[in-house]
Amino acid sequence: MTDRTNGGSPVTHPQHFHTVPSTVITEAERRDRYPKQSEFKELSAFFTSGLKRLEIATVLANNADVIVAAGANRIFTGGSPMAYLEKPEDPVGMPGSGYYVGEDFLSAKARQKGGPSNALQEPRLVEPVNAFLDRIRTLFSSGRPSTPTRFRTIDIRKYGTVRMKRSMRDLAWFLRYITYAVVAGDTSIIRINVRGLRGVIPEDVTLATVVALQDMQWRAGLCFSQDPAAAALVKGYFEVLITEYLVEKPNHQLRFGVSKLHPGLPLPQSYAQSALPTPKLVVKPGLSETETQDAIRAAYRQVFERDITHAYGLALEDLESKLRSGQFSMKEFIRHLGKSRLYRREFYEPFTISRVIELASRHFLGRGLSCLEEFQTYFEVISEGGLPALVDALVNSQEYADYFGEETVPYLRGLGLEAQECRNWGPQLDLFKYSASTRKLPQFITTFARAQKPLPNQHPYGVGHDPLEIQFGAIFPREDQNPVAQPAHFSATSRRILISSGLHNGHHVLGQNGTVPLGRVPGTFGQSVLKLEPSHQPQGHQAQGPNLNVNHHSIEAVILATYRQVFGRDVFDSQRQGIAETKLKGGQITLREFVRQLARSRPFRQMAWENLYITKSIEYIHRRLLGRPTLGRDELNRYYDLAGKQGFYAVVDAMVDGPEYTEVFGDDTVPYERYLTPRGYALRSPQGPVAWWKPRKNPDIAGAWMANYATVTEAKRLALATTEASHSMESTNNNSPAARAESRLNVAIASPPEPAPMPSEAPQAQPLETSTTEDSLP
Amino acid sequence: MSLVTELILNADSEARYPAPKEIRIFQDFVKTGEQRIRIAKVLAENEQRIVQNGSARFWERCPNTPSNSGNERKTASCQRDQGWYVRLIAYSILAGSERPLEEIGTVGIKEMYNNLEIPIRNIAECMRCLKEEAMSLMSEEDAAEVAPYFDLIIHSLS
Repeated sequence: MTDRTNGGSPVTHPQHFHTVPSTVITEAERRDRYPKQSEFKELSAFFTSGLKRLEIATVLANNADVIVAAGANRIFTGGSPMAYLEKPEDPVGMPGSGYYVGEDFLSAKARQKGGPSNALQEPRLVEPVNAFLDRIRTLFSSGRPSTPTRFRTIDIRKYGTVRMKRSMRDLAWFLRYITYAVVAGDTSIIRINVRGLRGVIPEDVTLATVVALQDMQWRAGLCFSQDPAAAALVKGYFEVLITEYLVEKPNHQLRFGVSKLHPGLPLPQSYAQSALPTPKLVVKPGLSETETQDAIRAAYRQVFERDITHAYGLALEDLESKLRSGQFSMKEFIRHLGKSRLYRREFYEPFTISRVIELASRHFLGRGLSCLEEFQTYFEVISEGGLPALVDALVNSQEYADYFGEETVPYLRGLGLEAQECRNWGPQLDLFKYSASTRKLPQFITTFARAQKPLPNQHPYGVGHDPLEIQFGAIFPREDQNPVAQPAHFSATSRRILISSGLHNGHHVLGQNGTVPLGRVPGTFGQSVLKLEPSHQPQGHQAQGPNLNVNHHSIEAVILATYRQVFGRDVFDSQRQGIAETKLKGGQITLREFVRQLARSRPFRQMAWENLYITKSIEYIHRRLLGRPTLGRDELNRYYDLAGKQGFYAVVDAMVDGPEYTEVFGDDTVPYERYLTPRGYALRSPQGPVAWWKPRKNPDIAGAWMANYATVTEAKRLALATTEASHSMESTNNNSPAARAESRLNVAIASPPEPAPMPSEAPQAQPLETSTTEDSLP
Repeated sequence: MSLVTELILNADSEARYPAPKEIRIFQDFVKTGEQRIRIAKVLAENEQRIVQNGSARFWERCPNTPSNSGNERKTASCQRDQGWYVRLIAYSILAGSERPLEEIGTVGIKEMYNNLEIPIRNIAECMRCLKEEAMSLMSEEDAAEVAPYFDLIIHSLS
């Protein structure tokens, strides 16, 4: 069975390994208490030994090459194994290295000079002479581990370059992880990453790897000859590494499914290990008072989600005493907690039945509901027998018996403890949070129900994250403040921020069929578009006003502008469609037909179709041919359908033949961009995207910034009109293709004839503002 | 979840040893270790006091609030939550990172109180009172260490 939706994807940060502070905190948080005295002591030791451990790590890092070479030279013969060790190209320039290029622009030399003395130098390749001396030196040191009799050295030439590189990479990797473990003060990072690795590395190399590791251990110890304590510590970490390496690869953990339809899920051991071992609290005869007390508190926390002893005092003392006296097992205790008055008041009365079932499954099974069928079963139980029947059903279930038995306190089976299911991923993670019991809305059942319906109208690219200006000015909540798990709804009527040309004095006039007014290229009156005029054709010459159509190159300008719009740039000569051009010039085809030919051409297909995934491709073609992004799921779905059933050419034809194209561009207008947002415009501004975040040079809104440029454009246009020496004028200040072509070449402007403004009036004549357009939203 | 974890994850994602800058950060973290433990202990020992005095101060400023409505159960559960936040702050101080506080506590905090129908502004005010109370128990240096974490909670409530 496949699932078509999941329940959102909330942000999680699974723990990959543990350090001393994170262990202490996780443990304390799980038990709902402050760190104990012993844990404080542990932390204190971690802090006091911190500088020492850092020193050790520094020494290891500085000697990394020597240590790795020691291991490699022992097992490889017939060449220099270190030559196969690859390094990052410019480690100094990496972020976090202290010399990140963004931070300063010192030359490499200056960076080396100015480096702090305690800096870890990135290991360099060992020079042959030094390596040789090192080998001589270490040859006479004592304690070098002996090799097992079965061990044979490996000949580099026979072994092959690829495998050599991998082996060297792995040896360096082992040492690096030992360094991390030393810094973390905890071996878990080694344990998690190395356990059972021998099952991954080819069997014949296993023995050699261990020999190399032992040599590295011995060589690393030599680095600390003055400091036996440090040497012992490093030795210990290597011991752990080798032991873990030799362990059999552990099996996957299995989680059983709830029904035949939903089979079990495997969880790789490395995930299971990265969680802290769950303290499984039990209550049985013969436990000490504090242990029993701990277990009882844990049971309260599991069932009531909060520490209730503080708030509710003596309410449950009777049950507690029965548990202590041995009259109840833990299972019975949990059952009675579930049937108590308090549970009914907290988790039954305030909620709808669906939510009650979800919460109960968390309390008594330690997980969220798994599927719709499961929900239906429990819904039937609760509708027939009420809350007590539900509690009985959960506590008597086979699953409860398998996981918790009679004695164990139920616990949350969350991320890391168990394989999690995709279909209830989001709700399940939410359910384990502190705030779960305040959420009134059922989550699982709504998620499962959504899986039966078609996808809602939400943007395919997700939430508010829009670095590429794909959502075109649509307003979404900031994603980094209150992250949401589901993509925001997004349709043609979503609110958008678009650039207004200011013609309507701040009031927007709805488009012809009630659509949102579209953004216009700023710096122009109305819409400045290129149009193929009849005057361009041989028959009717010079039909319009004097300053607009005198140039006989205009047809070429239109062609160039069309290329620019369709391809997004000027094309190479070899990519031009000569036949179509000739036909257009000869008047055999309309401009719309020309656009279609360009879009169906081989270069366009290669660029916009073959290398992109389907959504991106449709977005791209749509923006190019219709001048706006798609407006939501409805529109996209239609194109998906076309693309899937009939392919690329059908998609292009659908766009070019569609009613929208006819209405907006007709037969003879070059398509132009109709959706322009301030941010999108700033991204393309001559200063580049830099201008967007540079507060010094950039005014608050991009509109104000553009107003400056608009003045220049006006002046140039005036010059154009008067001197007619227009060919050489290169307008670089407005990067939009249509506007650029318009000011460079003299073509018809499809806007009402404008009075030539005086240069001094220009800023007033073009008040640019950014405004929010709103359609049907209240 | 702690500063050390983040440091290692960073270095590992670029396949290198910890860089000088990261080492300096780690040195600072280790050097302030004793201070961190001291602060956490102060918070642990005085949680009840901080919550009680903080509540009193809060009710003075904001008398009309659920926890002051005379319903003992409400008062008790509000104070339990306040103590919970103080404890999360102690965790965060030990870890040297705001991640524990964020992950366990502040993500979704607003929705939670909205669902409980407790005015957000009151909660924020309450956190401010707790902050003042906690800071008054410590030296200036320690107080400066604690303040940002309270501010984080207040900020996520605004």
